[in-house]
Amino acid sequence: MADPSSPLRESSTTLSIALEAWPFDPFAVLRPWSTGSAAAAEAHFIGRVRGWSAAGEPLAALELEHYPGMTEAQLERLAAAAAARHAVRAVLVRHRVGRVQPGEAIVLVAVAADRRGPAQRCCQELLEALKHDAPFWKKEVGVAGQGRWVDGNTPLEEPAPPGQGTQTIRTA
Amino acid sequence: MTTDLAGPPHLQVRLFAGLREQAGWGERHLALHEPATPDAHNGAPPPTAAQLWQRLGLGPWPAGVRVAVNREFAEPGRILAAGDEVAYLPPITGG
Repeated sequence: MADPSSPLRESSTTLSIALEAWPFDPFAVLRPWSTGSAAAAEAHFIGRVRGWSAAGEPLAALELEHYPGMTEAQLERLAAAAAARHAVRAVLVRHRVGRVQPGEAIVLVAVAADRRGPAQRCCQELLEALKHDAPFWKKEVGVAGQGRWVDGNTPLEEPAPPGQGTQTIRTA
Repeated sequence: MTTDLAGPPHLQVRLFAGLREQAGWGERHLALHEPATPDAHNGAPPPTAAQLWQRLGLGPWPAGVRVAVNREFAEPGRILAAGDEVAYLPPITGG
């Protein structure tokens, strides 16, 4: 039995998980979720579609395929597991499916917790988990209409150019 | 005995993304046991997900492919049961 005075909660996390078939405004999703929250800390991640392919060519769109039924269930499992590990108050995930244009939001992850550490760690961990373990597949569509399935996720961080100690972290 | 869906035990097989495009189909119903063999009548064990892949005639096991049974990840060695939904998932690229 957990100490009732402990701030840790294992089963009271609020999960809000949804797939978006159309462009969505992440800030419009966040506003009602965040307004009135009793949590002292929130971490938000918005990933947008780049304007170029993995090969560096101009991109017309990404087409996001998923496994209806499994994708939603897997997002719930991943969110619940990450929430329990970090004892956070609330987790929100939105993920696009279908055709997504460059610049549009493709993923939104938000975590509310009592401290910044759990909020930020849970947000990053859940983002990495869904990139690898929630069934989504990206097809790059070039400006000439040609399609190519993406064969792997982008690395977490941009490789540092030779001889340079600092690096820029890009989204998504 | 008939060979339609009301007959022998069946599996639902699903392919996604590049696997679906390469195969030219995304969803099929197959008999649990190979119809051309007497397995269904002699008590042979049902196939694993990896053995079922061989029956699909789509070539060797593709690198990085994962299996889901009834919409949860499973090992390729998972023994299948009648009514299972078996999906072969190419490397995931979400987020």
